[in-house]
Amino acid sequence: MAQVTLPDWFKEARVEPCLTGSKVKPPNFIEKNLNNIASFMREVVSLEEYAAKSGVLQSLDTRARITGMLAIVAACSITSRFAMLAGVFVILFLMMLISGVSFMALARRVLPSFVFTLALAFPVFFNFMTPGTDALKFFDTPVKVSITYEGLSTGLFFMMRVTSMVSLVALLLLTTRQADFFKGLRTLPVPPLFVTALFMTFRYIFILLKIAEDSTLARKSRTIARTKLSESQNWFASRITLILKKSMNMAEEVNMAMASRGFAGRIKTFDNGRMRGRDYLWLGFSSFVLFLSFGL
Amino acid sequence: MNEEVYKIEGVSFSYGKLFALKDISFSICQGESVGILGANGTGKSTLLKMLNGLVFPTHGSIKFLGTEVSEDALRGDFLRCFRERVGFVFPEPDVQLFCPTVFDELAFGPLQLELPREEVKKRVESLLEMLGIAALRDRAPYTLSSGEKKKVAIASVLSINPDVLLLDEPTNGLDPRTQVWLFEILQRLKELKKTFVMSTHDLSLVEDFAERVIVIDEAHTIAADGPATKVLSDKDLLLRANIIHEHTHRHGNITHIHSHGPFSTHDEHE
Ligand SMILES: Nc1ncnc2c1ncn2[C@@H]1O[C@H](COP(=O)(O)OP(=O)(O)O)[C@@H](O)[C@H]1O
Ligand SMILES: [Mg+2]
Repeated sequence: MAQVTLPDWFKEARVEPCLTGSKVKPPNFIEKNLNNIASFMREVVSLEEYAAKSGVLQSLDTRARITGMLAIVAACSITSRFAMLAGVFVILFLMMLISGVSFMALARRVLPSFVFTLALAFPVFFNFMTPGTDALKFFDTPVKVSITYEGLSTGLFFMMRVTSMVSLVALLLLTTRQADFFKGLRTLPVPPLFVTALFMTFRYIFILLKIAEDSTLARKSRTIARTKLSESQNWFASRITLILKKSMNMAEEVNMAMASRGFAGRIKTFDNGRMRGRDYLWLGFSSFVLFLSFGL
Repeated sequence: MNEEVYKIEGVSFSYGKLFALKDISFSICQGESVGILGANGTGKSTLLKMLNGLVFPTHGSIKFLGTEVSEDALRGDFLRCFRERVGFVFPEPDVQLFCPTVFDELAFGPLQLELPREEVKKRVESLLEMLGIAALRDRAPYTLSSGEKKKVAIASVLSINPDVLLLDEPTNGLDPRTQVWLFEILQRLKELKKTFVMSTHDLSLVEDFAERVIVIDEAHTIAADGPATKVLSDKDLLLRANIIHEHTHRHGNITHIHSHGPFSTHDEHE
């Protein structure tokens, strides 16, 4: 067996002292974002702080909670009246209060989609997309650019509709433990294949996040100089490919692990508990909101 | 002699052109504890997956209680009988745990096998108690430490109450205390005449636990198959199969078999 010979540079003792106290450099854009995305996803999917509180929403049967919430979401997508959406916001606010969810917690989850919708809806406010009476005029020549009343109404309505729907779903997810969510879905008339697929997606997201995080950390531990953005980009691209390959392998193993324990295409679980008075009350209320949306 | 559980005849397996196993034959009887020793990449995991009907031999046959474990057989009534009797603990608990809570994880197997709900609840509760993981009951498995994950992974297989346990590198990455925990659980189960097949590099675990050792060499064939005491004392064989190393491994100097737990240090055996 050949002996390992250490090269000379390995044996030189490090004499200079450790420098400290220089100006701290901020992390670069990509490193920061990969970490942010990972921790945000983890938080969104696994935060159970609100689900564990003893609020009114939380006390409802999961099936009833999901169905009722989705009924109101449907109402939002059907209605064509401001009053209806305003009403939903009031309901939303009340539900937030009685289930102990803070405004900030909800806002943090809704904000990204709000910004995105605003960007999407932005042109609708203007006269070139929605002609009509000017509410606010910017230029007359060479082309007319203004915000119209019609544009305002269409744009705001669109924003309110999307925001109310996203907020309702966010509130539903905030007040439901992940475990209960899937159990609830399984007992509803949702195709079992769909639930299994959704569940597996969650599984893979976690595997993906774990691999992604591990590899950022592994790289970080070997990096001293602040990496250039272009370098980071290249690394990021190659990393994504690797992560996907790895997670494909792992996905195969996960399937084997499920098969090994008797999974044969359809997940079987415990039945949920019985529905109680307040569950029916809530279902009645949300059906009523849905009913209203057809007329209003 | 006890009933023959597995009969493996002339089995080869290849991933594309790459052989993972070549012409393997052996039998395993009920109540036996078999250690599969082999260096990295010799095909131990592939062998265990075949014994669990997860991948199938490219050549040769594997029989479980007389029935061939084939893709076709596992589509029929044999599936349930087979899954009930054989449990597989994967090397990587992250792969094995996919349920929302620890409780669901333990209930998964029995529920898929359609045991009565009450019975499933009873089993899970008593298992949580027995394995000392009752406190983890409602936790999400991915939030556990790796030792806890391993415990849950093992519990999730035990809840099926299999007669045959396949363990792929069970002590890998476990701290000493969890290794002892595992060792004690396995000892208890051994008293119940269960059959064990365990792949590992952990010589001390094999020494203490397995009566029989199968060595797979780097040519992916069986280099030795016999009583643990005999195989483990064959220093040349273990060296050739790259399981021990003369200069870096304490076990390289062992010429006699001595009993010690997976937790003692080897220094005194110099
Ligand atoms: N999914 C796979 N695709 C291709 N080759 C694989 C795959 N899994 C394992 N192998 C190869 O098969 C051989 C045996 O692997 P494995 O059974 O995992 O060995 P061990 O568990 O003994 O380390 C190795 O050479 C490995 O590279
Ligand atoms: Mg292996």
